[in-house]
Amino acid sequence: MNIIVCVKQVLDPEIPPAKFKIDPETKQVIPPPGVPPVISVYDERAVEAACRLKDKLKGKITVISVGSDKAADVIKHAISMGADEGFVLCDPAFENLDSFGTAYVLSKAIQKIGAYDLVLCGRQAADWGAGQVGSILAEILAIPVITLACDIEGVDTNVRVKRIVSDGYEIVEAPLPSLVTVSSEIGLPRLPAGVRLMMARKKVIPVWKAQDIGAEASQLDKGNAHTEITGLSVPTRKIECEIITGATPGEAAANLASKLANLI
Amino acid sequence: MDNYKGVLVFGEIGDGKLTPITIELLGVGRKLADDLGEELSILLVGSKAGALAQEAIACGADNVYIAEDSLLDAYNSDAYTQTAANLCKKVLPSIMLFGHTDLGCDLSPRLNGRLGGGLSMECMTLSIDSATKALIATRPVFGGNAHATMMSKSARPQMATVRAKVFAPAERADGRQGKVIPVEDKLDASALKVKVVEKIKEQVEGVKLEDAEVVVSGGRGMGSAQEFTKLRELANVLGGAVGATRVACDEGWAAATLQVGQSGKVVSPKLYIAIGLSGAMAHIAGCLGSKYIVAINKDKEANIFNVAHFGIVGDWKEILPPLTAKFKELLSK
Amino acid sequence: MSPVSATYWGIPGYVIFWVLFVIAAGLFAKRIYFLFRLMRLGKQENRFDHMGQRIKNVLFVILPQWCTLRSVTKKDLAGIGHALLFWGFSCFLVSYIVFIGLAEGFGLYPWLMGNNFETVFSSILDIAGLCVMAAMIWAAIRRYIVRPERLELSVEAGVIMVLVFSLMVLHFGIEGFGLAGSGETTNWPPIGSVIANYLSSTGISKNTLITVSQGAWWLHYLVILGFTVYIPRSKHLHILASGANILFKPLASKVVLEPIPLEALEAMESEGSVDLGASKIQDFTWKDLLDLYACTVCGRCHVSCPAHVSGKTLSPKEVIHDLKEHLLEEGPGLLAGNAQATSESPAKTMIGDVIAEEDIWACTTCGACQEVCPVDIEHVRKIIKMRQNLVLAQNKMPESAQLMLRNMQTRGNPWAGAQSLRLRGDWTHDMGLKILGQYEGRVDTLFWVGCTGALIDRNVEATLSLTRVLKAAGVDFGVLGEAEPCCGDPARRAGYEFQFQISAEENIETFKNYNIKKIITSCPHCYNTLKNEYPRYGGDFFEVVHYTELLADLITRGKLKLTNKLNTLLTYHDPCYLSRYNEVFREPRQIIEGIPNAKFKEMERSKNTTFCCGGGGGHMWIEEQHGTTKINHVRMDEVIGTGAETVVTSCPYCLQMLEEGIEQKGVKDSLKAKDLAELVEEAMNQS
Repeated sequence: MNIIVCVKQVLDPEIPPAKFKIDPETKQVIPPPGVPPVISVYDERAVEAACRLKDKLKGKITVISVGSDKAADVIKHAISMGADEGFVLCDPAFENLDSFGTAYVLSKAIQKIGAYDLVLCGRQAADWGAGQVGSILAEILAIPVITLACDIEGVDTNVRVKRIVSDGYEIVEAPLPSLVTVSSEIGLPRLPAGVRLMMARKKVIPVWKAQDIGAEASQLDKGNAHTEITGLSVPTRKIECEIITGATPGEAAANLASKLANLI
Repeated sequence: MDNYKGVLVFGEIGDGKLTPITIELLGVGRKLADDLGEELSILLVGSKAGALAQEAIACGADNVYIAEDSLLDAYNSDAYTQTAANLCKKVLPSIMLFGHTDLGCDLSPRLNGRLGGGLSMECMTLSIDSATKALIATRPVFGGNAHATMMSKSARPQMATVRAKVFAPAERADGRQGKVIPVEDKLDASALKVKVVEKIKEQVEGVKLEDAEVVVSGGRGMGSAQEFTKLRELANVLGGAVGATRVACDEGWAAATLQVGQSGKVVSPKLYIAIGLSGAMAHIAGCLGSKYIVAINKDKEANIFNVAHFGIVGDWKEILPPLTAKFKELLSK
Repeated sequence: MSPVSATYWGIPGYVIFWVLFVIAAGLFAKRIYFLFRLMRLGKQENRFDHMGQRIKNVLFVILPQWCTLRSVTKKDLAGIGHALLFWGFSCFLVSYIVFIGLAEGFGLYPWLMGNNFETVFSSILDIAGLCVMAAMIWAAIRRYIVRPERLELSVEAGVIMVLVFSLMVLHFGIEGFGLAGSGETTNWPPIGSVIANYLSSTGISKNTLITVSQGAWWLHYLVILGFTVYIPRSKHLHILASGANILFKPLASKVVLEPIPLEALEAMESEGSVDLGASKIQDFTWKDLLDLYACTVCGRCHVSCPAHVSGKTLSPKEVIHDLKEHLLEEGPGLLAGNAQATSESPAKTMIGDVIAEEDIWACTTCGACQEVCPVDIEHVRKIIKMRQNLVLAQNKMPESAQLMLRNMQTRGNPWAGAQSLRLRGDWTHDMGLKILGQYEGRVDTLFWVGCTGALIDRNVEATLSLTRVLKAAGVDFGVLGEAEPCCGDPARRAGYEFQFQISAEENIETFKNYNIKKIITSCPHCYNTLKNEYPRYGGDFFEVVHYTELLADLITRGKLKLTNKLNTLLTYHDPCYLSRYNEVFREPRQIIEGIPNAKFKEMERSKNTTFCCGGGGGHMWIEEQHGTTKINHVRMDEVIGTGAETVVTSCPYCLQMLEEGIEQKGVKDSLKAKDLAELVEEAMNQS
């Protein structure tokens, strides 16, 4: 079984909130110094889902990432978790692509990789969180898509997925090859353990440029972007938290209750 | 691009009625359509859709497209995508609106992929740029740390999903006139690849999280599944629902459906009581719309105090029981 | 007439003597050979370096009984009893060789007995015998009347006490009856002669006396042989094993963790079976298995262990004892070459059935167990090896541990995420520091701050104090600022060995690039790691000092003057990784004593027998077992007991744990926790 997982390298979402800075001019986030970027949390769970399938069914996991040359780190992370190989898709033309552009680049890389049974993506990226690359990619590849998986229950000629909905779960099936986007409910990803951690560290991750995957310049033209970010701001919330006190914790609690009872 | 005209809402039906988010979409859709000087339309699907056409018109729709097909009674991404795509190719809407619901989150990106439009999800504001007549949408990015303004210069339709309760519901006017237009295209059953095999409802005690006026949430600081159940008591007294952080769900203290946050549910109750949770940005993104946020945490540096209106610094174990008791006393009067 | 030269039922005594001897020696040798082969099931480990030093250790530790005497406290005097028993019994051991082996067995009695040598030796034996009997009575009282927590009742202990006591009784019997039977009147040996004189006065016939003496001799001989056979089959195997265990004890540092060789990894990868750390008893090294033999279940570790004291299920004593039982159970199968059969369908899994996972995670690696162990058993590394297997091969660990390890792996430090409101380099702002990589000039000395000292607000205050003190004392140093990663300690203690290895290699590379000659650390965990563990990875070209050592030296050399009076009562909490792992406990006290007007009160558990704050071994992040007392609360009670107004420490984890204890115990108004650097800054003349 061949699984392709698409991952993204993002600014660490767990930086202290006060350290989050943006440049409104370029509409970009300024990464704080000394904080290494990480694999997007949902994408890491997609890798985990792939590894769980590989544990059960054997097969090969290929990981691809559109990003800077540093994205080799997230590929290595995926390899240390259990993926077999990976490619970084890095080209000046790939910078700041919208969802369509990213999905297009991924589709070209997937076509170059060749045969596959499943493509896995995170439900959304932990940075811009557009939440559409998976679905658009499936549309380009002309394969079925199942979103928000919390478990991939089985794979034969169909993939059987448990997906999360607001009031419970659905079991959904689609014929292979299919694309599945993975949600965090699938559970904690494994800690890259033992041997793989050391081996992945030494691996050289191949970098594919636009011409390597046959990506056409017209498709990457920023002027044709489907969506454009025209502004970026940090919301200011001027809230002075009123700390309720009391002689005892119980009294503080009672004071709080009285205060709130008048407001609701 | 200039051929694309009007606003199209994808309507959702629940319990034989238009869902509250659908009425909210009609509300904001009406406003956008008026700003553009164009028409507001809605697509309703399923065998019972026809019965709701007048209701949609009363809520502001100029045109109601009805796709009555039993294959569309329950949500199926392939069937819905096909139906919506066919209609869009015919009526060429400039703007298309969805609820940021299970359906909207699954359908809108897929449809966007097929139509090549421009989609912004989870929008908080929608307006029309007076110069270009394009849709301006703002949406949270970086886990709520920033807000981005999105525009589609040339891609059409411009699509957006909208959270519940962000926009006011449409005002009903029973005498309004509008057209009811049946969708003639039959579904191509061979193109339906994804099948829903089974639905499992998670039993939720009390009020549904998304509908609750009061939400009592707990995090890692609760310590165990048993301690976590103590939140339920306060929620019951207040007629509210229980929420949880990702950690609490991962630990198995609460069902995954109770997760509040970027990757869980976004709630906007009147009162959000956060107990034993530090307030990671991803969690806060899920409750920032609340009218009042109350934090109870033993660490005065915890981030939750930065977004809370009221707070108590202390061990929740000493605060929750008297708080529950006092509320019981006050509300029984 | 000697008992052996007599004839019994027509059989010459010496024949009976040697037949019995051969049977006993055979049984003894069989068991010892078996145990030796079991031990050899363990992995290889070189403990044969510095043999001279090792032999010296054994002689200087065992003969003067420093091994048990060092743990004697007012509350636990048992070490004295053991010393008496050891010295007394050693005399008897010599007497068995000389008087039974050589004199009777080889017929050398004409030269060895009936002369002054025998009289002197017997007199010594009489006194030794009394000592041993007293020790046995004492031991019996401590087991059957007033039993301290660390001891448990066992049949084995009872058997041994009866055997040893009966040996002494028989010794006096042989001597008394023998002397009386010989008709000699003498005052030597003292006890024997008193008994003999009494017996003579009773008018029992000489023949009866001699017969009883001979009977007692044979019984004595049988008991000795029985003892010989029984020892290697009981927990008293320690009599034989502990000498060897002390001989092979770790020399360089107290907890020795071996690197996992990468070649082995590649082999495992190609075979498709990853088995790292210890999941089976034979995954330990032979020295680990020897440890099991050396344990006599004295329970000193049990009552010193912070996990046990705070009500957790972990007991280092049980760990060693259970592993020994497991080895003896599994061993025969393994030796018979049924390794496959046993590993496919093992009766018990070592992790899980024998040692509970919960217990493996409850250890703070504080090393209290090892410090009090009279026979130098290495408990901590066994626990870490089992953690290694859980983490590296099974991916099983508490979620809190996983979050920490995940942070170390992806973010380079254990504190990342919602736990820290700072960035690594924030503390360096406006401090006028030489930041390596930015500073143009050369710096030989690096101040290695550590993750906690750089990221957690409270600890940053201590870091800033230390920085100002160092600058005031004219110390020339640089820092890495935002480029400083974790030293790897939390990963290693939690079993994530490879992450540690990666951290070590990268950091050593950094030190090399900047040509660092000396490193000042503020965190004892970094100190221990850089000083004792980095050399194995090539980090042996720099000197590592803890800031307490450096400040003590600066004060001695007059570079730092503590002149401000601090009218306060202080106590000092020794960090395990400083005082116990590295024996740095004089310097902090020297500094405190140098502060004018400061009064100092020592806690009972201090210096190398300090009590853990609860934060070591990854436990700053790993959650404590639910429903148990928190370790820092136990320690806080001891701090409060001193009546001190300030508890001083010199470790960022300890500082946090103590502050949390103060907060939770509700003594904020009467007690403060400070880092020693902060105290020094207060006492320093600030011009």
